[in-house]
Amino acid sequence: MFKTLAQILSENWQWRHQIWDLAKIDLVKTYRGAALGKVWLFTKPTVYILVYWFTLSVGMRAGSTINGEPFLLWLAAGVFPWFFMSDAINTGSDVYRRYPYLVNRIKFPLSVISTFYTLSLLIIFAATMAITTLICVLLGVHISRYILQLPLVMVVMFVFWTAWSIALSPLSAISKDFANLVKTLSTPFFWLSGVLFQLSSLPPLGQHIMAFNPVAWCAEAVRCCFIYKKWFWTRPDELIPFLIVFLVVVLVALRNYRRLSKEVPDVL
Amino acid sequence: MSSSVRSDTALDLGSATIIRDEDRTNPVAVRFEHVRKTYKLFKNDRQRLIASFTDRVKYDTINASDDLTFTCGRGEALAFLGDNGAGKSTALKMITGVCFPTSGTIEVHGRVSALLELSAGFDMRLSGMENVQMRCQLWGLSEEESKELIPQIVEFSELGKYIDQPMRTYSSGMRARLGFAFASSIKPDILVVDEALSVGDRKFSAKCQQRVSDIMANENVTVLFVTHSTAQARKFCTRGIVLDHGRTMFEGTIDEAVDFYEAT
Repeated sequence: MFKTLAQILSENWQWRHQIWDLAKIDLVKTYRGAALGKVWLFTKPTVYILVYWFTLSVGMRAGSTINGEPFLLWLAAGVFPWFFMSDAINTGSDVYRRYPYLVNRIKFPLSVISTFYTLSLLIIFAATMAITTLICVLLGVHISRYILQLPLVMVVMFVFWTAWSIALSPLSAISKDFANLVKTLSTPFFWLSGVLFQLSSLPPLGQHIMAFNPVAWCAEAVRCCFIYKKWFWTRPDELIPFLIVFLVVVLVALRNYRRLSKEVPDVL
Repeated sequence: MSSSVRSDTALDLGSATIIRDEDRTNPVAVRFEHVRKTYKLFKNDRQRLIASFTDRVKYDTINASDDLTFTCGRGEALAFLGDNGAGKSTALKMITGVCFPTSGTIEVHGRVSALLELSAGFDMRLSGMENVQMRCQLWGLSEEESKELIPQIVEFSELGKYIDQPMRTYSSGMRARLGFAFASSIKPDILVVDEALSVGDRKFSAKCQQRVSDIMANENVTVLFVTHSTAQARKFCTRGIVLDHGRTMFEGTIDEAVDFYEAT
């Protein structure tokens, strides 16, 4: 176990200079072929957030302010992290198929593929968060000192979803069924996560179960920065279940990487 | 050439050992000792998935390399001869490091550039230029080195204006030309060539052969060569190994090896 952990860390350390460039190349790949180019990276989040806002706020007449902050900000602080996680769940869990030539044509450590792909998602996520903050400042919405924990939240999310990718990608490479299963599960992950409704409206049992959904924790942690104005480590009822899930994902990642990473080039 | 990336590594994969470093002064470039590569054949993908959780799933095995032993000295040009399915490509892949032996010991001293199935290994959604830039980074070249090298690669590939078009619009010949141009331009210590010299039309093929000859003229470069063409093998190589079903059938000078291969 520790040997595999050391191996993954040393692979990432050895390739640290390339990881950033490869993440940028991944972004280029995403918007390649479109005349508007980089604009597309931000069009989808903007359109979605407006659609959600219209449905929930105008259509279903959900609350207008939450903890004294605008509903739209509450929505943005949950939906933007979800875009990051949605790609991490769908593509991140099957990342070797996105880069087959790095698996079986070029000598390249598999764990680093997960790292730079998640980093490319993080770049977009960080940009949307920066824009959100900027808009808040321009519109005069009060930004508290709790925003300072946002970079830490991002680091935690980055490590978690990288481990997630390392854990599941070998299985997805071996079996297309498994890849499809994970993709199918991403919908319930989302709707049962509290990204679009307030978790506090659930009965206590529901809240306890929901605490084990990593999507819920990540969205709530970002909302701690903007809406709830709390440090995320002062909410142990949510943090401890998340840390348990975190530990399980890391252990699965180490097991699968040790056991399967040598087999992946043979089957892809 | 910067070589800070990928320093000494010794991987222990159960019963297999891989020693890989960038020591280009070592008189041995590549050494295989009792290397076996076993592919697991499952009835279907579901069986393979279940096998990743438990050891109780039955599967067939096939040995692509079976007790393969040979040594290739620094600066040597070694040809692998054999019919389809003899395990030539598997051996080259293990040298390159993209696939791993099941048991045995592999030593590789020096940086390996491979001309394996040239048209593969590119990202179809990126342009030719972006692919080359990405490969330069993966090879560990600094920005200045890349800047110097990329025009040479583009020129050799004869792609002209096409270099900025997406790779998916390329013909297979164009992809292969770019692949050859890159792999042969980056000054490797060990060059692995798999059926790559029949790239493109006759003129380009001749150019490729000239390039490989030039590389081989440098006596520090080791070349491992897989081909069905015994004429090419004779032209480029000094030693030959004949493989059959993953086993070494014959090892000797290139003329003896070709004679042995043609006799069987």
